[in-house]
Amino acid sequence: MTDEALQSDDALSTPATHASLVDEKIVLAYFVAALTFISISMLGGFLMAAQLLRHNPLNGIEIFSPGRWRMLHTNAIAYGFLANGFLGLLHWVIPRLTLRPVLDRRLSWLIFAAWQVVVLATAVGILLGQAQGLEWGETPTWIDPLAQLGLLLVAINFMTPIIRVKGPMYVTLWYFLAAFVWTFLTYAMGNFVPEYFVSGTAAGAVGGLFIHDLVGLFVTPLGWGLMYYFVPILLKKPIWSHGLSLVGFWGLAFFYPLNGIHHFLYTPIPMFLQYGAIISTIAVELVVTTVVINFFGTIWGRGREVLTNLPIRYFYTGMVFYFLTCLQCAMQTTLTFQALIHFTDWVVGHAHLVMFGVFSMWIFGMMTYLIPLILKRDWYSNKLCEYHYWLSAAGLAVMAADLILGGLFQGWSWSSLQPWDRSIDVSFPFWMIRIWAGLSMFGGLVVFLYNFYMTWRSEPEPAMDVAVVPA
Amino acid sequence: MSSHRENKATIIVTAVLAVLILVPSLWGFGMKLTEFIALVRGDVDGIFAISPVANYLLASLGFFCLLLWATLNGMFRDIEEPKYHMLEQEAKLDEASIKATPSDH
Repeated sequence: MTDEALQSDDALSTPATHASLVDEKIVLAYFVAALTFISISMLGGFLMAAQLLRHNPLNGIEIFSPGRWRMLHTNAIAYGFLANGFLGLLHWVIPRLTLRPVLDRRLSWLIFAAWQVVVLATAVGILLGQAQGLEWGETPTWIDPLAQLGLLLVAINFMTPIIRVKGPMYVTLWYFLAAFVWTFLTYAMGNFVPEYFVSGTAAGAVGGLFIHDLVGLFVTPLGWGLMYYFVPILLKKPIWSHGLSLVGFWGLAFFYPLNGIHHFLYTPIPMFLQYGAIISTIAVELVVTTVVINFFGTIWGRGREVLTNLPIRYFYTGMVFYFLTCLQCAMQTTLTFQALIHFTDWVVGHAHLVMFGVFSMWIFGMMTYLIPLILKRDWYSNKLCEYHYWLSAAGLAVMAADLILGGLFQGWSWSSLQPWDRSIDVSFPFWMIRIWAGLSMFGGLVVFLYNFYMTWRSEPEPAMDVAVVPA
Repeated sequence: MSSHRENKATIIVTAVLAVLILVPSLWGFGMKLTEFIALVRGDVDGIFAISPVANYLLASLGFFCLLLWATLNGMFRDIEEPKYHMLEQEAKLDEASIKATPSDH
């Protein structure tokens, strides 16, 4: 990278400033959209949990049937919360890292509007029963081309400043660059290949790749890329080893794409593909270990920051959950383990651990850091920020542990050939705990929304007029 | 002197971890690739296995080319430098932004 007198690319005589690079309004707009969709998603999760306890308040209403709420729950998290959250954060990070604004701010707003249309249309399509038959790819077929075009525009808008960077790139930019290509390809693979080109077992295999690549090649590179940016900024010290971070990046690039087949162990998919998926999943765990070592090496000697700096606490909590979830993944994808836990709530616990415990916690941490900088005022209540963290982290820990354990009981019940009803009876106490854990997480979100609203209503502080002061 | 020692330790840790990850993974991948070729050659049904493997190879080939391009263009020459540069650039950007702010605030 070169920063000759910190000059922006388009006007070499103009020194780059935060205001000239970052459009804070769009960052905030994405945050509002993300928080709206996570509220809807959590409501969907709550209704599904109530249905399992036979207390569905919307019983008998077709468009609000539990199966549809469930799809709304997962899609609103992936495309409504995570995608919106990441897009907002990218508008902050990429211009600051590259010292160049995104390709076009009008294009950014067009993408913002188009993406909300895509997510809302997906929600409506799902509720009206038009879901595509693919986990996490339920986006109705008539929206797929628009979503694909949106992802292309996102790639063009963000990749332009990155590819103009000269010299060795910081690891965050490597992750982002890859994520834009991977997300575009992954979406196309999952939504078009099984629908129009292949069928049967091959379509199942591609579906497995899609589900997992959406986690590993869309959410993971963006999440880690953001961590490699925000952790050094907040700790005011460089990452422990940039070389090791690149091992993590290239390891992900080469080992992750084959992982998805592990969703279909014991199927007619050839065993060499199943074994290949198991091996590459274990290899990814080794890669993840290098990444986690790197971040703990970075905070070494500054451990107290986890207690005093809330965004850092969010980040490192997510990292611990990430290591656990990948360790769990490396075990659960073995054939022996899979025979017990397949189709059980273990998998649901695992999914919540990674989607909420890691990536949602990271986004909450980054929002906690950036919202005061963007609004140029302190949080209305730091205590409410703490409540949000503890209600989310504790709720998630209880939910994940509960579902993982409950999944084992379900698996043992099925493997001992007990009647199906018996496994439901066994599951009931776990589902009861799950709904309370979910309410804790939802309560945390409500507290955060209230705090956000009250902060927005308060007066700006002149001392924070320049949005560059670290927390 | 101590920073030189730290750099050396970092390089050794990086190399050891890279070998630990790459060797078993390449061995596993090589074994499965051999089985794959045998399956495609010997079984008519084996052809449907090509679809996910082709997906993987296409993605990996692209990234292999990118890795080659990055290596040839010196992206990994001074491998630790970008982490210092990033923080310095952030500090300068903040400084420039503060200077550019009107003084009446």
